[in-house]
Amino acid sequence: MSMHAPSESEPAGAVRSASCFTLVDTDIHHCLAGTSDLLPYLSKYDQVRLKQFGTGGTGDPYAYNGGIHGRRADVVNEGKWVEPGSNISKVVHEHLDPGGFDIGILTGQSVYGASAIADISYAASLCRAFNDWTIEHWLPADRRFRFCMAIGTQDPVAAAREIDRIGDHPQICGVLMPGGAPRPFGQRFYNPIFEACCQHHLTPAIHFFSEGGGINPAPTPAGYPGSYAESRASRFTIYLAHLASLIYEGTFETFPDLKVAMLECGFAWVPSALWRMDSDWKGLRQQTPWVKRLPSEYVIEHVRFNSQPVDEPPRRRDVEQLVTWMHGDQTLMFGSDFPHWDYDDPARTLTELPAPLRQRVMADNAAEVFRLQPLEALA
Amino acid sequence: MSSLPVCPVHDLPPGHRRLVTAPGNISIGVFNVNGRFYALRNICPHRKAPLCRGQVTGRVTSSGPGDAQMHGSDQILRCPWHGWEFDITTGESVFNPHKVRVKTYPVTVETAAECTSEGETGYIPLEDEPAIETYPVTVEDGTVTVLLSERSRST
Repeated sequence: MSMHAPSESEPAGAVRSASCFTLVDTDIHHCLAGTSDLLPYLSKYDQVRLKQFGTGGTGDPYAYNGGIHGRRADVVNEGKWVEPGSNISKVVHEHLDPGGFDIGILTGQSVYGASAIADISYAASLCRAFNDWTIEHWLPADRRFRFCMAIGTQDPVAAAREIDRIGDHPQICGVLMPGGAPRPFGQRFYNPIFEACCQHHLTPAIHFFSEGGGINPAPTPAGYPGSYAESRASRFTIYLAHLASLIYEGTFETFPDLKVAMLECGFAWVPSALWRMDSDWKGLRQQTPWVKRLPSEYVIEHVRFNSQPVDEPPRRRDVEQLVTWMHGDQTLMFGSDFPHWDYDDPARTLTELPAPLRQRVMADNAAEVFRLQPLEALA
Repeated sequence: MSSLPVCPVHDLPPGHRRLVTAPGNISIGVFNVNGRFYALRNICPHRKAPLCRGQVTGRVTSSGPGDAQMHGSDQILRCPWHGWEFDITTGESVFNPHKVRVKTYPVTVETAAECTSEGETGYIPLEDEPAIETYPVTVEDGTVTVLLSERSRST
């Protein structure tokens, strides 16, 4: 900034101007009346993308989904957009009944993002509200419903209080932990959650979401995937990171009764994870001496993997080998992902497996890990 | 029993090792652990690495997550490839003592010794994992000596 003395010739109080302007506003926000205003300026391909994905908002990596806004086109109402998963009757009559399900575990999704909110009090309020809404409207509607209750993982003490508050409800079987997190779930920061789960005989269920959103780091260590397909290809790394953390931090030594479910994780990555962890444990054991057994032994005893989106080897007969490698008779369980576009139909999923193994996968493993019983037995 | 002289006792102080070659081109590592001598076959049962050239360290234990303690500093041999750990005094694997074992040899200290034996070769399979060979070591009149013709602690 240059300074110069006032000229003798300028009148008192006058301000010397270097431009011909006296007032400039450097920030006025104009906007579209609607995103369709952009349509005439876009290619045909991008016009379709605009209608489906919008303008990208704040960069949510899940904005670009499959189907219609991520939902099955055949269960989306025509006309005004209505979430098919918000319709109890639709879930019962278009899914539980025709699918022949004895139990359907509600895992929500509406407040998964709460775990990524920096305002932890607001996050707790959202989860509490979603839980109470589910308990009031959904759980009484059908005896087959069970519920993985919502918590904010970024505040484990508040999460434990919420588990204490409602965790003994007979239809609550688990605690939903969205996969996006600033630190992996084996760290003892999360111990209050696992302690509460053990006290109330509930199973923490890890389901991907909010990676890269809010307080969470990028969805992959290499940054943000550029497309939804790319994010799906790298999604297993989220589960792998949490699994390795749970094993090597000794979570199952601290909580011998703890079981953990991984939902919508696929499973072809699991054999590789087991082999790698076992192999490395033999050579690196001294760095985590509290890991007393082979990592795979902890997994087989404590962790269960949901099959969806089902992995499809080019040769269908290889499915059984894959399931055997992951000890699927004990670790694999079915999930449909209803009403999402990449839904797996129970009648057409993992039919390659021999009947006894398939029984384990379609029912028994889930019943064990979520401690499921008929409602009459729980009364 | 044939024997293989290694070196005078004062040349192998506690915490040190010597690699020697027995007839039949068998490489053996001789270790002084806290004043006692032990001999191991210099082959890791995992990937056949030169086991006895690995780091010597203590045994790490834990009372629970977050706790780690090291006991001693010269009883555990860590393979230079992949890090499998073995107890030098027994040849047993630290992570899996029932299934994995190194061949050991008896070591003695003698005044003078001649090595005439062909020695032991090969592995001693235990269950589904190969074994590591250990040998008895004696000290007689100031010389560390590995005894070759007898398997030690191999079952």
